[in-house]
This record gives sequence, structure tokens and C-alpha cells, in this order.
Amino acid sequence: MLVFAASDKGGTGRSVTSANLAYHLALGGDDVCYLDFDFGSPTAAAVFDLPDVLTEAEERGLHSYLQGKTGKPFRVDVWARTEHPDLRSRPGGSGRLVLLPGDRTGGEFVTDEENLHRCVDLILGLKREFDVIIVDLSAGRSYAMDLALVATSPRGGLGRLKTRWLVYHRWTRQHVMAAAELVYGKQGIVQAGIAMGHRPDALNGSTRFVRAAVPDLESPLWSQVSPAQYAWMRKCDKELEQLAAGRGIGKTRVLASIPLEPVLQWQERLITDEDVHDRRIANNETWQAMGDLAQRVNDDKFWGEL
Amino acid sequence: MDGLGTASGPVLVCGEVRTCLLPTRDAVDERAAVELLRLRADERVRVSRHPNRHAVSPDVLTGVDCRLPTATGARSRAVGTVTARAALTEGRVLQATAYFSAPAAGPDRRQPWGYYLVRPGTLVPVGRLPGKALTEGFLTGHQPGELDIGSVADSLLARISRQHRILDHDTPLTTADTSLRWTAAAAADGEETSLRFTKAEDGLRIVELRLPPGTAPTAAAELCEDLALHDWLLTTVADKLDGLRVGSEDGRAVLKVLRPLVDHLLHLWMPQARVDGALHTAWRELERTPGYSRQWNALAQRIRDQLVLQNLGVPRQALPAR
Repeated sequence: MLVFAASDKGGTGRSVTSANLAYHLALGGDDVCYLDFDFGSPTAAAVFDLPDVLTEAEERGLHSYLQGKTGKPFRVDVWARTEHPDLRSRPGGSGRLVLLPGDRTGGEFVTDEENLHRCVDLILGLKREFDVIIVDLSAGRSYAMDLALVATSPRGGLGRLKTRWLVYHRWTRQHVMAAAELVYGKQGIVQAGIAMGHRPDALNGSTRFVRAAVPDLESPLWSQVSPAQYAWMRKCDKELEQLAAGRGIGKTRVLASIPLEPVLQWQERLITDEDVHDRRIANNETWQAMGDLAQRVNDDKFWGEL
Repeated sequence: MDGLGTASGPVLVCGEVRTCLLPTRDAVDERAAVELLRLRADERVRVSRHPNRHAVSPDVLTGVDCRLPTATGARSRAVGTVTARAALTEGRVLQATAYFSAPAAGPDRRQPWGYYLVRPGTLVPVGRLPGKALTEGFLTGHQPGELDIGSVADSLLARISRQHRILDHDTPLTTADTSLRWTAAAAADGEETSLRFTKAEDGLRIVELRLPPGTAPTAAAELCEDLALHDWLLTTVADKLDGLRVGSEDGRAVLKVLRPLVDHLLHLWMPQARVDGALHTAWRELERTPGYSRQWNALAQRIRDQLVLQNLGVPRQALPAR
């Protein structure tokens, strides 16, 4: 399966949540590959705690590969290389977890036929090796996103692969509106996809939203707020839900909702079982939500035209 | 081209083999295999049915004019063509090989293309061939700007993978591709045929061969394809069994892993099916240590035993429907 992670704005938790998604899928036994297509600011190496990888990836990362500067993009076995203390021993029954990092100096580029062929060849090759391929796209309607849309269109070469789009947004007015615009707007994914030959119902059916950093008002985190604050936040939450529903990204289109997690406010990192149960620094709800996300990405029941 | 180490023949043959599972749900039949491998309109796909079904594409030549990889960093230019071909075993395992032969020396100046085109599959050095440095440099891997023969094999694989009418890209199991990089030189007088096999990271295998003088470059390539195929089978099956939780209560998890191996891979083991008789010695070394067939037989037996046990122990309704 091919999973594209998109967002309209930066700072939506797209990369960090996608990396956690990859981690949970691998824990569940899937062989997972993570492609960092966020060429402007590749962050996946940091989230997976691979400090030397950014330097090593220069001139041979995904960006260089797509431009034809290297024949094979650099790849990193996360279990073997990570400096995250909880990840060093690969759990029994887990699948492979491999990162293809982007190059730091890459920046964006213009897509052409050559890029497209290289992208398609790469993903077809990875498809043999991995159950799930997660592609982290840069924020907004980027070139990376256009490349993904063309490649997965019926004539693009990846048209027959099972493809899913995750659109991440934070739980604020601006983010909700921007996410809706990114998918359904005039310049949005659906319109662009149709122009490239996608069937709108298929594209809609394979697009779901992930709400990130959502404050759960019933959680202990907010138990000390004043009654006035509580009432105000409840009202905001309700209004946001109405706004989202009005823009076509209401609850039925939401695949998962990741609660606001203090650990992730301080550090872009993987949340592990040990963080929750031994160190008790992360919330169990976050761990559960990431697990739900991983399970639902794989579960056909949550996908298809509504 | 004459045989390896003969007066008019090459002193060195170098190549790289990529091995992968054909990206389809089921193995393809002979007709589809022929269609996949028809890389040229003017030449036929060769099919052999015994001792197993095996189809080989016609050779495809790629023109090359670039620096050779050398261990010493010495600049050495070579011009000519690289031969590439693809093979499909039992409609299930796909391989792409790219290789070239190199004579000890060539003209001191670059010649017009016509000179190189009458020597298909040969890279002619401008001046002398830095034989030893080339062998080492080639096996270690190319630097930017140097000949990357693996990319020739890759592009052949990619070209075949794009035939979407036949390929559904929905494989029954995930498998890692392997690359086998090899060099072959003639064994000196009194020296025996030998093979040095090393496993490197990321599915890379390195093979250094000394073969009987007069060995055809194609025969060396076929030997390496055979090595690569069996190494890939062994690696794939061993990886799948590594850490298999046979003790878990739910037998379906074990069946999910084992069943595709039986359906798709276990019948493919057939070492030396298409290796020139004079080169069988090379295989015998691998059979002695580490003992490839021995390991394969043990793995295959383990899979069959596990399946029998799973059948005994798991209630019928828990078995996946098929």
C-alpha cells in the first residue's frame, strides 16, 4: 500500500505523526518504508533519531535520485541505526522499518517526465519489498504532491497500486479551512487529480483527514482550567466541528484524531511504549491514537466513497 | 568474443545481477513470460522447459564512454558496449544482468563508434587496462562519474516492471531485492577454479571468480545468475523464518508466513540447472562451506514440518479460506 502524507501548512505534525504511524505499522508486523519527500526541510531523520543521516544523505538522498544524480537513493535501516534507546532492539514479530531520507540542500524542483519515471520505478521497486510505503510530502500544493498525483493517475504508472491520502491539520479555524481548501479548493488535490485523469470518487474515497494536536477537554491536562475557560473551549470545539462539517471534513472523513501531547510539543520524536508505561512522560491516549491510526490505515472498512 | 584469458579474448569480465520476485500475485505462464522479456523485436526470447521453466531475453546493448572504477583512483577511460539481459525462472523470479568484457589493452586514442560496435559487450580501454585496480574498484563500488553497471541492470528491471498489462504489482509476499556484483578472470597455470563469495550490506553480494581459461563471458554471466538466484532464495526463505513465532496461539500468523513460501518459492531450488559443466567446481565450493543446499533442505523441511503441525493443532475454522 502507498500512503501519501499531506498538509496545507507546516507545523501540523504531519512528519512526526507519519513517522509514528510507520513505527506502529512496523510493530504490527508490516514491512514499512518511509520516503521523505519534504525536500524543503527533511525532518524524518531527526524524528527517527538518526543524527548522522542528514549528512550522509547529501548528494545521494531522494532529491538527488529523482534528479538522476545517483542511481539508487540512500536507505537507512531504522532498527539498526537509530540512537533512540527504546528502538535499538527490534521487537520480535515486527516488520522492517526503512527510511529513504531527502537531501538537505535539495529545495523544490520542477517535475518533468524524467522525474516521474524515476519516481515510478523507485516505488514499484519498493512495492516488492514493503507492505506499506509512506511518502511524506512537503506542505501545500508542492511539486512533490504534483509528482505523487501524476504518478498515481491511471496513466502515471502507479495507477494500479492501492493508494491512500492522509491530510493532516491542527484543530484550529485556520488549519481546518486550509485543509479543506487543500483538498476541495479550486487549486486543491481533487481538482488537480481530475485534471490528471483521476476519478473523483476514487480520489475522494482514498482521502482521509487526521486531526493532530487536538486538545481533549476531558483529559487531566485541562482539569485545572477555570469554568469560564472550560466553557469557552467547549464552545470553540463545537464551532470547529461545525466548521469542519460544513467544509466537508467532518467526523466521517476523519481517520484518526491525535490528542495534544506534551512530549511532542517539546520534541519531534517517536512515542514508545516505554515513554508511556515506564517513564510515564507521554500519555497513553497518544499511544492509543497512533495505534488506531495504524490499524485504520490498513483496514478497508475505513476507506472508500462515503 | 573469444574465451577468457585467451590471446585474443578478454582478461576480465565484470557484471552485476539484480534478483527480485516478479511483481505479480501468481507466477506468470510461458506466454506472458515471453511477452515480458521480448526486449527486442528482431530477436526471440529463449525458453527452456527442463529441468525447470526458464526464459531469457535477447541481449540488449548499452553504449558507454566513461571512467572505470579503480581502487587506486587512477583515471582510466573505456569505451564500448555493456550487455544486459533479463531472465525469468518458473515465471516467478526475475533477474536482470549487465556485464562487460575487457581486453588487456586498447588503442591509445578513442576510436570512432564503428570500431566499438563490432565488439558487442566489450569495453575497450583507452591505453592499458588497470586490471587489478579495476577488479578491486569495481567490487568495492563506483564513485560519482565512474561506470555504474548496476544502473544498467536496474533500468532493465524498471523497463520490465512498467509492463502493467501483465504485472499487477500485488505480490503474495514481500521480499528484498539482491544485487550480486561479480568479476571473473582466468585462473593462472596450475591454479584451480575458485570463487570468493562475500555478503555485504543492503542485499549486496560480492563474488570474485577465477575460471578456466577459455571460458566464454556468457558462461560466467550464467554462473553468476545461478548463484544470485539461489542466494536470493536462501536469503528470502531464511529471513521469513527468522524469529517466526511458532509458539503463538494463533496458527494463522504462522500460516500467513509459510504458505506463500510453499506456493511460490520452495520448488525453485535447482542449483546448476544452467551452468556450463566446466564451472561446476565453483558451485561445489559453496556446497562444501557454507553448504547452501544443506541449509535449503533444512529450511524446506522445517517449513513442511511446521505446516503439518499447524494442521494438526489448529481448529479447521481458524484456517484461512483459500
